[in-house]
Amino acid sequence: MEVLCTLGQVGAVWVAVVLGLVMLPSALGISLGISEAYMWVLVKTLEWATIRLQKGAKKPQLQMPRTPTANGIIERDETPMEKEIALLHRADFEFSHIFYFCRKGFEAIVEDEVTQRFSSEELLSWNLLTRTNVNFHYISLRLTVVWVIGVVVRYCFLLPLRFSLAAIGITSMIVGTTIVGQLPNGSVKSYLSEVVHLTCSRILVRALSGTIHYHNKENRPQKGGICVANHTSPIDAIILTNDGCYAMVGQVHGGLMGIIQRATVKACPHVWFERSEIKDRHLVTKRLREHVADKSKLPILIFPEGTCINNTSVMMFKKGSFEIGGTIYPVAIKYDPQFGDAFWNSSKYNIVSYLLRIMTSWAIVCNVWYLPPMVRKEDEDAVQFANRVRSAIARQGGLTELPWDGGLKRAKVKDTFKEEQQKNYSKMLVRNGSVG
Amino acid sequence: PGVPQGSAPVTSLLSLAVTSEQIEHLHRRFKQLSQDQLTIRKENFDSIPDLEFNPIRGKIVHAFFDKRNLRQESDGLAEEINFEDFLTIMSYFRPIEMNMDEEQLDRFRKEKLKFLFHMYDSDHDGKITLQEYRNVVEELLSGNPHLEKESARSIADGAMMEAASICVGQMGPDQVYEGITFEDFLKMWQGIDIETKMHVRFLNVDTIAHCY
Repeated sequence: MEVLCTLGQVGAVWVAVVLGLVMLPSALGISLGISEAYMWVLVKTLEWATIRLQKGAKKPQLQMPRTPTANGIIERDETPMEKEIALLHRADFEFSHIFYFCRKGFEAIVEDEVTQRFSSEELLSWNLLTRTNVNFHYISLRLTVVWVIGVVVRYCFLLPLRFSLAAIGITSMIVGTTIVGQLPNGSVKSYLSEVVHLTCSRILVRALSGTIHYHNKENRPQKGGICVANHTSPIDAIILTNDGCYAMVGQVHGGLMGIIQRATVKACPHVWFERSEIKDRHLVTKRLREHVADKSKLPILIFPEGTCINNTSVMMFKKGSFEIGGTIYPVAIKYDPQFGDAFWNSSKYNIVSYLLRIMTSWAIVCNVWYLPPMVRKEDEDAVQFANRVRSAIARQGGLTELPWDGGLKRAKVKDTFKEEQQKNYSKMLVRNGSVG
Repeated sequence: PGVPQGSAPVTSLLSLAVTSEQIEHLHRRFKQLSQDQLTIRKENFDSIPDLEFNPIRGKIVHAFFDKRNLRQESDGLAEEINFEDFLTIMSYFRPIEMNMDEEQLDRFRKEKLKFLFHMYDSDHDGKITLQEYRNVVEELLSGNPHLEKESARSIADGAMMEAASICVGQMGPDQVYEGITFEDFLKMWQGIDIETKMHVRFLNVDTIAHCY
């Protein structure tokens, strides 16, 4: 009996804490500063750990320039093909051309720019998570003790806390939107739906210990517009909805995701496509166009890369989103890998293990930049427009731009692409007067 | 982690100024390419998108399995290579050290040129014939439908003639130039600084501290 009593009391305290410290502030949109305090402690600990690691180094560090590992482990000579071959040029056509391709081939074998983007960024210093411990070895007892404490804190304290918060967040989302969905369409309904979406988003962000810095809020996407952003993980959407309301676009899923989708679409006009509809590009474009044309509808949120990239680069934007028309509001999202790796490597982890990893990381810290709106110019086609938007996002977020298709994660290079490159090379040879 | 320790050929490779960190990186890359198997086959190179563009892709991949490059006694092609072999081939592309003396530099250069020579000499007879050279040119120009085979041939023939003139001087009308031997090949490349063209330099990835 007594056990039940105490359990009941603990339960009551727990509920009170959650309501007071999490739900109420989320609903009102204010912050109690708990996250900030946590982050401060975390940063101090990691700094201390880094200093210990540096002291533990027995080899003197070479004074070579340190380059962020995100961009590769080998030094690439970026001399364009023409210049390089001109330098080696002795007579018309020579063995020299083979050097260029030989070297490029070897560089590709040691490390290729594309595959690199589909695995997590390597860190320059350890952040006390075992999963990033590829390069680091045992240093000292003190450090190991701190690491063990870290594990205990993460798994026994943070994980249950976060898990329950996430459960609360998702349940409130489903319940809240179902209730709001019963109301007749009107301004009251839209207002309430916004409140519900925002609150639940904020709860979910707290569930991940997310610290998000929004920049240039004056450029926030307006109604009737299209918001495009670079894609790193499924939580990108939550990061963005934490600060505004969007109409999501996506495929209908089964299971829990499906329940959420069905509930939310009652309250707010999200655009969910059946699997069969997605194949028909014209249908998709038509529906999105209708949505955008209605200026009272929320801006739609699209991730044109089509797949998750590891947040060091921006890959090719699919032109479909840019053919719809309307104003494009680009958004750049950059995660700080020091506190937790947000990238979802879908070939390595399924969604459940991914979420588990996220919830046992220290925190999710990211910067979100709202860029000024862009419109397609008259003489631009969809592809050029897509590239222009992509450059703006890459520049703001400090990411590199790659012309590759994110689909390369699973498929091989298209033949047309290959032939393009080979044509360039042959054209150059012919120009150099090597023919006949 | 998981790098084969204590096998003699690997330690001799360590003297080739590839640091242990670089070996670890290469090992990780090897595992990625081999999909966690112990050996790589030719098909494993298909998974590299950057390589698809390369017109001499076939010859490069071939070079990894060429027993002459693997410093093995026999001739021909290996079916699969392990990590040691992979490192052996990679060592052909290591950059020059500051502290190399004349003799080392010369040996260095010869090794790289030998690698290149093997790439041309596809029938392993020690000579690059006109046909073999034409082969390489055609591959380099492959994929462009506008360039006819004739152009490729004339490019090859022109280059071959130049090679002959360097190596053998004026030939009589009844002399046949059989092919470029390795010595001729070396002569052709005299004075050209290939050591700086044929290497892959690792960035100093200062991953903090090993403690051993």
